[in-house]
Amino acid sequence: MSDQDKNAIDRIVELFQMSSSLPEDVDVDLPEVQAFVQTLPEYLQKSFKAGTADPDTRKMSLEFNKGLAVYFNSLQSAREEGKKIAFVPFNFGPEILYAMDMVPVCVEVLTTMAQGLEEGVTEYMDLAVERGLPETMCSTHKGVIGLLEAGQVEKPDLIIDGALGACDPNAKAMEYLSEKFEIPALYLDIPFYSDERALDYYVEGFKKVVANLEDVSGAKLDPDRLREVVEYSNQASEFFFEINDLKRNFPNPVPNYYNQLHVGMKYFMIGTPEAVDFYRIALDVCKDRLRRGAGVTPEEKIRAFFMYTSFYFDPTIYTWLEEEMGVTFLLDIIGCFDFNPIIDTTSVDTMLRGLAEEMMNMPMTRQLKGKWDMPTNWLDDTLFYAKTYNADCCIFSGHLACKQAWGAFKLVSDVVKKELGLPVLRLEGDGWDGRISSMSTIKDQLEEFFATLG
Amino acid sequence: MQALDEISRVVTTLENDYVAECIGQDKKIVGYVCSYLPEEILHAADILPYRITGQGCEDTSLADTYLARVNCTFARCCLENALSGRFDFLAGAVFVNGCDHIRRAFENWEAHEKRRPYMYVLPVPHVLTEEATAWYGEEVLAFKQSVENHFGVQISTERLSEAVAIYNETRRLVRRLYDLQAGDNPPLTGVQMLKVLSAATRMPKDRFNQILGDLLEEAAEAEGGKDGKIRLLVAGSIMDDADLVENVEDLGAVVVADTLCMGSRSCWDLTDEKRDPLQALIERYFHHIPCPRMYGHYGERLAFLKEQVERARVDGVILEQIKFCDLHGTDNALLKRDLEKENIPALELERQYGPLADAGRVRTRVQAFLERIGRVR
Repeated sequence: MSDQDKNAIDRIVELFQMSSSLPEDVDVDLPEVQAFVQTLPEYLQKSFKAGTADPDTRKMSLEFNKGLAVYFNSLQSAREEGKKIAFVPFNFGPEILYAMDMVPVCVEVLTTMAQGLEEGVTEYMDLAVERGLPETMCSTHKGVIGLLEAGQVEKPDLIIDGALGACDPNAKAMEYLSEKFEIPALYLDIPFYSDERALDYYVEGFKKVVANLEDVSGAKLDPDRLREVVEYSNQASEFFFEINDLKRNFPNPVPNYYNQLHVGMKYFMIGTPEAVDFYRIALDVCKDRLRRGAGVTPEEKIRAFFMYTSFYFDPTIYTWLEEEMGVTFLLDIIGCFDFNPIIDTTSVDTMLRGLAEEMMNMPMTRQLKGKWDMPTNWLDDTLFYAKTYNADCCIFSGHLACKQAWGAFKLVSDVVKKELGLPVLRLEGDGWDGRISSMSTIKDQLEEFFATLG
Repeated sequence: MQALDEISRVVTTLENDYVAECIGQDKKIVGYVCSYLPEEILHAADILPYRITGQGCEDTSLADTYLARVNCTFARCCLENALSGRFDFLAGAVFVNGCDHIRRAFENWEAHEKRRPYMYVLPVPHVLTEEATAWYGEEVLAFKQSVENHFGVQISTERLSEAVAIYNETRRLVRRLYDLQAGDNPPLTGVQMLKVLSAATRMPKDRFNQILGDLLEEAAEAEGGKDGKIRLLVAGSIMDDADLVENVEDLGAVVVADTLCMGSRSCWDLTDEKRDPLQALIERYFHHIPCPRMYGHYGERLAFLKEQVERARVDGVILEQIKFCDLHGTDNALLKRDLEKENIPALELERQYGPLADAGRVRTRVQAFLERIGRVR
């Protein structure tokens, strides 16, 4: 296949194969390795730098890359193997799709991965806007829609639109995708509240989605296969719960870059054995670091909680915070899953209810539906995470498309300042598009802020 | 037209004569937003439902302390009015989770010292399934009970039936006006029509019906003087201000139809007067011509728009969206594609609301659009 025939998925697969070709024990400082890195696209150079910041981070990154290579191979061969492909938003758990032998594609993570293409992903974002999508929409969806417009990604067989009630741009982008490219869509409404009545409503909606998936995939839901997937999901959850617990220590032994790997793994691969392997290795690494007293270098000065999203267009932010600022990136809301249930595998019914409950507690769904100060909403979670993980400050990255977060930010931050006495920094930018606020601008603002914390 | 003058007076100030009359009689007034809020419940409780508007604010300095520049100017103007005390005459405010912007405007108002004594959110699902209808029904019932408890009133079935009949009458009368507008020589300008629609949301409906009845009589005999003008339909984000349409009509066109939430979408479906009124209201409000906040129903919105295009025999469609309105922005992109496919000229127009309106840019774009229509007409 010539380069011209290769679409984005083919090229992403090649990138993972290439990154996996380096021996595990290779010295990354060798001139020939550095020369090789220089041949990579800019985003991958940064990923390489972030992922090899230290031997511990490197070990986790290698396991992550191995898992993602398996994933992208399965996506690449899905058509040949007769598997259906479904596009989902990040707040829809992929487990049910794995259980039905379909291949889930989390659109936000796909845009993140597409940043590794030679040409990057911003030109696809622009193409989506040029072809009609409002420029005020989220860059994660602009990226995927642009890739489809350019023929760089094939049309999926199905879309599951699962952000209804938590994020208008997300939900509308998925509907737009469906209408524009004539892709069947299933809609899962998120209720306004978080109580049992709301969960019952959501579970019913989820069961309808599952029934429709059976029609699309042509396969009946196999209870044993579902149990297998849910058990993988539960195992992975146990591991990342434990990793999060380790973050309570001083210094925090969890490397900053884990947070980015965690987001990618959770949204793409939860419910697979590869995800279990990744989290097991990551936990081993973090426990070992705890034993050694290893934290950010040279010492942990500040513990920062990103109260909504992070910046995903430049992974070096994690190493910069760690190495140059002495700042622990505790977590961002997008990577917070402390309220995920361990799913009861007794019956199909308990598993479907458990998966629905898991999704009701997914980032964004949990915090940004309903009202800002309702139980389990954004305020509650911000206070919980800041207190639980002993944050010294909160940072709002100000992703421009998140109008619902912007509209409640002041309310939440005022209470955080008042109740916890924590300083809050408000930035403005785009998590996936460095043209809005460049990383150097963001770093300048962060540095100034950290200086005020003493 | 005398009736039109009276209607126009209603929308010139927030505290119009009818509001003053209510205050004088110690009758409660409750603000609301969204076409998914069954106003009849308030009416049946002897409360004047008053649609929250951003009109009247000259800047958004207070609102901008709480909302951000990525929040739409309509939401910011509504919040500005609330925080600056222009809605102090309201005894309460009832919002719907219509979109991300307006729900956050409500929350910031609710958290502010200018909150009204009664603040309520009626959560509406985003899909039209059986379960969602049941959920909405439960929420409407809870809203009714909340009004009864807070205001110490009993909303009887009889009062609700009366309200249903009055509101249906409003819809029938407004539709008759749309019929006249669809004729060869529409009696009203688009600006006048918008004033009529806005007035309907800021005064008692029974009084409005009387005046509208008079207006219809006057309008039937009026000389329109608009034959030969380019006929347009306006669709898109909330429009209770006439700035955009005024601009368009200044350029020689006439707006004869719309698919706005305060316009045709709110009057096309009637409430079934033969059923239990609460159940009939639930059915009518939840299943009326869907807003873009309702997912999986783009086809119905397109069909309704095309129906209006045909019945009013328009030459073109303006698909407007207030900047950062993702709900209408995405729909408009699809609507433009689908209208143009059928050779219906369509202009996608991003605009600002209220004091931030960018009239010059809008005029330039509309002028070019009208020239395009003029060439093929």
